Amino acid sequence: MSGIISTNTFWTLWLFAHLICALGLLGALTHQAMAVALPVRKPAAGIVARFRAVPAAGYATAVCALYVIVFLIGSFIYTQYRVAIRIPLEAEHYYKTGGFFDFKEHMAAIGLVLLPAYWYFWKNAQNPEYDNARKGVTLVLAVIVWFLFIVGHVLNNSRGFAS
Amino acid sequence: MSTTTTVSATTQPTSSLARSSKFRAFAITFSISGPVIYCLVQYFNYPLVTYWPAIGRLVWGLEAARPNSGPNMLWYGWTLTTIIIAGALGIIAMLVPERIINKIPLWLVWLFPILAVPYVVYSLMYWWRLAARQ
Repeated sequence: MSGIISTNTFWTLWLFAHLICALGLLGALTHQAMAVALPVRKPAAGIVARFRAVPAAGYATAVCALYVIVFLIGSFIYTQYRVAIRIPLEAEHYYKTGGFFDFKEHMAAIGLVLLPAYWYFWKNAQNPEYDNARKGVTLVLAVIVWFLFIVGHVLNNSRGFAS
Repeated sequence: MSTTTTVSATTQPTSSLARSSKFRAFAITFSISGPVIYCLVQYFNYPLVTYWPAIGRLVWGLEAARPNSGPNMLWYGWTLTTIIIAGALGIIAMLVPERIINKIPLWLVWLFPILAVPYVVYSLMYWWRLAARQ
């Protein structure tokens, strides 16, 4: 990419793409998690009830696709993190930040392997046999994605965009 | 545990994959075994590949620290090993009679990722010790 955009801009654009896709994933999964945790039993009135009343089953494929996209972009920018971000973080004794990033990478991989069952349970949402498992795996995935997002956000504040 | 209001619009699954009992066996086995395998692979350190980002070097298996090569990355290798082993178990599960697969408790799908968290935190002791020394 040399000559068109700077190295910093290149990685910053990928970081933006990672962030934007992560926001979409976070929104879709939070809607779903609210829909399974606090299902709406009468016509939605307020904004919170409408937030919970989405047709959650329709989000499953999008959530899986977005998770994989965010995962792949994150895996790509991870190479730059390992060289240009983590080494200075360690040098400046940001050990908790580094530790939480490693925590994030492990949870991202664990979240990835949940996707086939998650997708299957949602695509068979009419089957009450899967109600508990679908609720459990959706809530676990939502917590994982929120954790990944918050750690990524804090790390970006430590040494992220344009650093 | 009623989620019927949010999913009531759905009737039969439209995707043939979602109707397939073979895919059910694969998906459930893959997702239940995945977190366990990931923890084991990371504990015993069996990455499929090692990547050296500073020099763009990718090698099969585990390659320990080398002079003038910068840091190595094992996470890609651990993730790939996990996907391959969990995928193989999933394929084996597709060959197992359905009545046996139906006996697998589905709550393991969400329980194992939760149980993996204490191990993952423990595996990062290197960082927490350094942080505590400050």
